[in-house]
Amino acid sequence: MDDYAIGVLTNIGLFSFLALSAYLLLIAGEMSFGQQAFFGVGAYSGGVLTAIYGLPLPLAALAAMLLGALAAFLVGLPTLRLRGLYFAMATLAAAEMARILFELYRFQREIDGELVGPDGTQGFRGIRWIFERGIEPEGYLALVWGLLLIALVFFVLVERSRLGATLRAIGQDPELARSCGISVERFKLGVAAAAGALAALGGVLFAHHNTYIEPRNFDIMLGVHSLAYALIGGLGTAVGPLLGVVLDIGALEGSRVFQGYRMIAFGGLVAVLLIFRPRGILDEKAVHWLKARFS
Amino acid sequence: MSALLEVKDVVTAYGKIEALKGVSLEVQQGSITCLLGPNGAGKTTLLMTTAGVLKPKAGSIRFGGNEIAGAAPRAIVARGIALVPENRLVFPNMTVVENLNAGGYPRNDKAEIAADVDRMMTRFPVLKERAMQDAGTLSGGEQQMLSVARALMSRPKLLLMDEPSLGLAPLIVEEIFRIIRELHKDGATIFLVEQNAHMALTVANHFYLIEQGKVTFSGDPGSLAEDEVIRRAYLGSARA
Amino acid sequence: MLVDLIQNTLDGLTIGAAYALLALGFTLIFGVLRRINLSYGPAIMLGCYAATWFHVQFQAGLLALAAITLAATVLAGAYVERLCFAPHRDRSAIAAMVASFAIWMQLEELATLVLPNHLYAFPALYEGGPLGFGPFTLRADALVMLAVTAVACIALQRLLYRSRFGLAVRAVIDQPVAARLVGINLPWVFVRVFALASAIGAMAGYLIVASAEQVTPMLGMWSTLKGMLAMMLGGLGSLPGAIVGGLALGLIEAHSQWFFGPQVRDLTAYFLLFLLLALRPSGLWTTTRSVS
Repeated sequence: MDDYAIGVLTNIGLFSFLALSAYLLLIAGEMSFGQQAFFGVGAYSGGVLTAIYGLPLPLAALAAMLLGALAAFLVGLPTLRLRGLYFAMATLAAAEMARILFELYRFQREIDGELVGPDGTQGFRGIRWIFERGIEPEGYLALVWGLLLIALVFFVLVERSRLGATLRAIGQDPELARSCGISVERFKLGVAAAAGALAALGGVLFAHHNTYIEPRNFDIMLGVHSLAYALIGGLGTAVGPLLGVVLDIGALEGSRVFQGYRMIAFGGLVAVLLIFRPRGILDEKAVHWLKARFS
Repeated sequence: MSALLEVKDVVTAYGKIEALKGVSLEVQQGSITCLLGPNGAGKTTLLMTTAGVLKPKAGSIRFGGNEIAGAAPRAIVARGIALVPENRLVFPNMTVVENLNAGGYPRNDKAEIAADVDRMMTRFPVLKERAMQDAGTLSGGEQQMLSVARALMSRPKLLLMDEPSLGLAPLIVEEIFRIIRELHKDGATIFLVEQNAHMALTVANHFYLIEQGKVTFSGDPGSLAEDEVIRRAYLGSARA
Repeated sequence: MLVDLIQNTLDGLTIGAAYALLALGFTLIFGVLRRINLSYGPAIMLGCYAATWFHVQFQAGLLALAAITLAATVLAGAYVERLCFAPHRDRSAIAAMVASFAIWMQLEELATLVLPNHLYAFPALYEGGPLGFGPFTLRADALVMLAVTAVACIALQRLLYRSRFGLAVRAVIDQPVAARLVGINLPWVFVRVFALASAIGAMAGYLIVASAEQVTPMLGMWSTLKGMLAMMLGGLGSLPGAIVGGLALGLIEAHSQWFFGPQVRDLTAYFLLFLLLALRPSGLWTTTRSVS
């Protein structure tokens, strides 16, 4: 397999974390325009920890996930009572603040004669932990997809469990859930933190794959993209967001067919698709049908 | 003579759940016909279906001999049916006068619309007092009168009323029903949906009971003991 | 110091006027459809790009460019309405918004395919230096911007409060079920409000690029963000709030940029919005209106 294909597959894998992050919130009934912020938090913190402090990647990734969860918690707490569009705008505001903070963030150290670290709008070069250890692209691909598979298994288990049912109940009718004694606020905060951690993990993997990140990577475009992946792929299952990422990055960018007018094609496709399947390709109905078919 | 409104075997569903399971009834010209029943029985669903806001899955609704089931609300207003909806649904950030003008929206005889607005103010003096106030600031009873007046602005041949007594104090309820009697005396045909069976029976020429999406009784006031009616209107009967 | 304060206030009001127009367009669409149109800015950008293309090809005059901007934006807006909003009328709001995002991508790529550069010159509204008023500088195009915005707001007010169409629009915004019951044709209203919002947006876009004397591909996202920000600041769904929010945003930006620079300027605006949403979601202007 050539390096370009491996690169595309790796990107699909790590952006899937971001898509899953948006999906998780959608299931719980909230539309977030801001998951890209936690993706960025993961990218920056993971990069700083490995490139400047020399921490091994697994440790840095864990720390990044914790930071992502914390950041999401901090955003989620004041916005707990907000619904629908108000919540979406609050997440947008928070994400744009994060992006601007990335633009202002300068933290450089000299490592092996080179200046390494985030340099505001100039970006963050030298996140080379993977390359310094001689890890091959195939190896990294396996790592990313291995982690993704673990995440998916986790999702599937949760979906089948009472926790999953509770989440979907909260998403569909929070008042009803509340009247059944469910602490809607606590669940939403938990979901927000989990989604933040997921996005952050994607961010760490992204930073080390690219070796270079800049604040512009984490703008509202990325955020709305992640929402779109989740919705297009389908809200019936965790594989849905994955499908959305595959369709965009895989089929269109990877195939190089629509060079130059990829977005015209993809944009039109998405809009038309949503007319017929407003909850995505793998929506709840499709998933039920598939389960019935294959059980 | 055939009835002004003929509803036959109407089925209306919300997704998979059927709220109306085959409802049939008639409203005679010049009558006050009441539909009584407990919450969730389908009263509002039937009125919304008749007004065109909901589309029936099956069945027929004939008005003056013409089929109207499934037609758009504006077509049904044009034919002469107006709905005074549950909870009044006035336009809260528009003035009383603007609410009345909105009621006359489908008409284009501007002078007559203005004359009708004056007539409404005369018939409902409290509206005249509050003419330039935002409708949202009116009391419940005043909003109810505004909602009735707004519906009358389209000069309907049939007036549908959805629980006009809902949430109103007993004195106001009596006032509302006095107005209903007055409108009837002036020749209006009214299809009244109520949970307040007692008041409804004081004005009805004919009434129906609806329980769980089906009509379970049809008769004149007095053909069923009032306390039996009231019981079934609030609780439904064991058999339904 | 005082001179700077007043100068910044003037500058802030000028750009705030443009923000107000953008917010008005957003609010009209939201008020009537209860949906956010993420293609609002991109449609405006397409309109400005169409005008730029004409300028590059034919050296068209200012008025012709304004007309082209208007026509192209309204056309793009109609395309968005048909594809992204009409099919989802009684269904999911999220699907409509994601669809509008998808078309955002489409419109942006279309514009950059036709005109690939990062920057294009746009003819100025006024060829001449800035006008001085004592210690203050006021550019003539700033005056034009303020004047046009004021006229547009007055015209909109008359349309909404003195016409049958305006009555219908306000009824739909206020209580859509009752609006249907009195016989108002909602899809008819939606299509026309969309066109009206597009026209207002085109006006804002044209004024902005003519003032800046340039047009860039970032215009789409920029307009959408500013419009949404201003709308939320003033109070979602309120038309007077849109104007207040737009002007407030302009003032906040002008003053914080003066003291702290461009990044803090944007930071302040977003922070204020976040704070507002956390504490008083109904916005700066609205009091009891609830929007579900």
